[in-house]
Amino acid sequence: MIELKILWAALLAYVFAGSIAIVAVLLKKRPERTVLALMTAGLLLHTASIAMRWERLGHGPFITLFEILSSNVWSMMLAFALAYWRIPAIRPSAAVVMPVLFTVMGWLLMTNPGEGHLPPTYHTIWLYIHIGFGKVFFGAVLIALGISGVILARRTAFGAGRFERLPDDRRLAELSFRCMAIGFVFETLMLIAGAIWAQDAWGRYWAWDPLETWAFITWLIVGISLHARLTFNLSPRLGAWLVIGVFVSAFLTFFGVPFISNTPHQGAV
Amino acid sequence: MMRVLRRLASLKLTLAALVWLGGGVVYGHWREGHFTVALVPPLLLLALNLMAAVATHSAFRRWNGLLIFHLGLIAIVLLAALGRLTYLTGRVELSQGEEFGGRLIESDAGSWHAGDLHRVKFFNEGFRIAYSPGLQRGQTRNLVRFLDDSGKEQTKEIGDQTPLVLSGYRFYTSPNKGFAPAFIWHPAGGGAPMLGTVHLPSYPVNEYRQAREWRLPGTAIQVWTLLQFDEVLINPDATSEFKLPDRHKLVVRIGDRRHELQPGDAVELPEGRLEYDGLRTWMGYTVFYDWTIHWLLVVSMLTVGALGWHYWRKFAARPWNETRLHEMT
Repeated sequence: MIELKILWAALLAYVFAGSIAIVAVLLKKRPERTVLALMTAGLLLHTASIAMRWERLGHGPFITLFEILSSNVWSMMLAFALAYWRIPAIRPSAAVVMPVLFTVMGWLLMTNPGEGHLPPTYHTIWLYIHIGFGKVFFGAVLIALGISGVILARRTAFGAGRFERLPDDRRLAELSFRCMAIGFVFETLMLIAGAIWAQDAWGRYWAWDPLETWAFITWLIVGISLHARLTFNLSPRLGAWLVIGVFVSAFLTFFGVPFISNTPHQGAV
Repeated sequence: MMRVLRRLASLKLTLAALVWLGGGVVYGHWREGHFTVALVPPLLLLALNLMAAVATHSAFRRWNGLLIFHLGLIAIVLLAALGRLTYLTGRVELSQGEEFGGRLIESDAGSWHAGDLHRVKFFNEGFRIAYSPGLQRGQTRNLVRFLDDSGKEQTKEIGDQTPLVLSGYRFYTSPNKGFAPAFIWHPAGGGAPMLGTVHLPSYPVNEYRQAREWRLPGTAIQVWTLLQFDEVLINPDATSEFKLPDRHKLVVRIGDRRHELQPGDAVELPEGRLEYDGLRTWMGYTVFYDWTIHWLLVVSMLTVGALGWHYWRKFAARPWNETRLHEMT
């Protein structure tokens, strides 16, 4: 299928972009235009691949594990590419973010690209709104993760040398906090949109199914990390660890729970 | 008094209560059904903490968005609590042509639920469901007939995302539906004939178990009923639609006697005459009542809007890389 070949080409562009970004940090070079161009090319190809599959199957990329991984690689890449373009000061954080994306891409490559059935409960605009907000949330947390990774890497002599031209830790922590705050707003919106969808689809707005429970726990962890920063005037290092905690929780919610539990979120009914 | 309020308004207490709430969620998930016990104490503490904070912290007076966000959180908790006290969930099955008369097969309700369900009336007028290859269920289109608030008869197609809403009760079609043989029971001795249906197990998920045992009304006689047909109703290899079989027979076993019935056939018993009226369909519904849901939506949107507004004002005031060190928080 041509859409798969285009997807592989997109992933190749991402891998080149990420590899160049990582090597550039290691060698203290700045091929930023090349990296941005490769990210953009990958995104265009990836968008075309998703659009072709959408057109062929008649539904968006949110049924099978393959589709969910593909659409999340796309949205994470888009979020980071936008940050890379608009906030040049944090471009070296690509060396932290891209390996995370490589992991998800590797998972995607090992996943069966077969088709799934769109359950009747998915025929609603709220699905798109719910997923859209979720993607913005996860993208914001990913950018915060990259920044936090830089803060933690700078604790070592090797990392301090490689990331020396970024703003100081306090300012990076402030930017990371802002990303988390944006993420918090969008995760709240995601939960509200999800509740509206659940009410229409299953006749209840909240039932503590595993995905809802984990999404709420992630929301709480984001809230706790934002509050902890205010309460204890946390050091950038501790704040960075909290961001990593939020990312791990969000990652498990997005990519773990839907595939290990037998919940309506799987579209089983 | 102010000292107590300030202690109660502590941000450290907020953090502790949030962690407690997280632990409560995990506990409630682990011990299924214990959410109320696990969540009410930390939510109460958070509400008290928040109200004390609103009364004592100057930040809430400086930042209106932050104040509205936190007041919104209190309102959400209160609305959710009221919702839990007044809600109703349940399940009902109706044969084609049957009227809903307020009785549910099973239900769960809050202790303050007023119980107006007996006033809700509607008829199930049958359904259509298309299937894709692989027995993949498509949209459910269930026609219902009811009287609106002005007493005028209305018909409406409901299903999946579209519930029937009557007196605040929301009726959603469920994935459960199937065949319902209809019988007329003529009691010996001249009692009034009774029409009733037997809901066979949900189809097609129980394709090979289309049998059910039931009891004749007013007697102790057990009747075992099996629906048999040779037709492939929902072709797993093609697009098809849920429908009644063109030809079928109904096997009825009463005691050690076995009868094969067609519509119009009857079984004579000392206690009366059991007539097979014909085959219909039945549809399962989930019922939901919670008057707070619209308020919850409005308050949630206001709350998240206020949070977004707060952050927008705060972040727009100074670029992230120009923030002075003492103003970082």
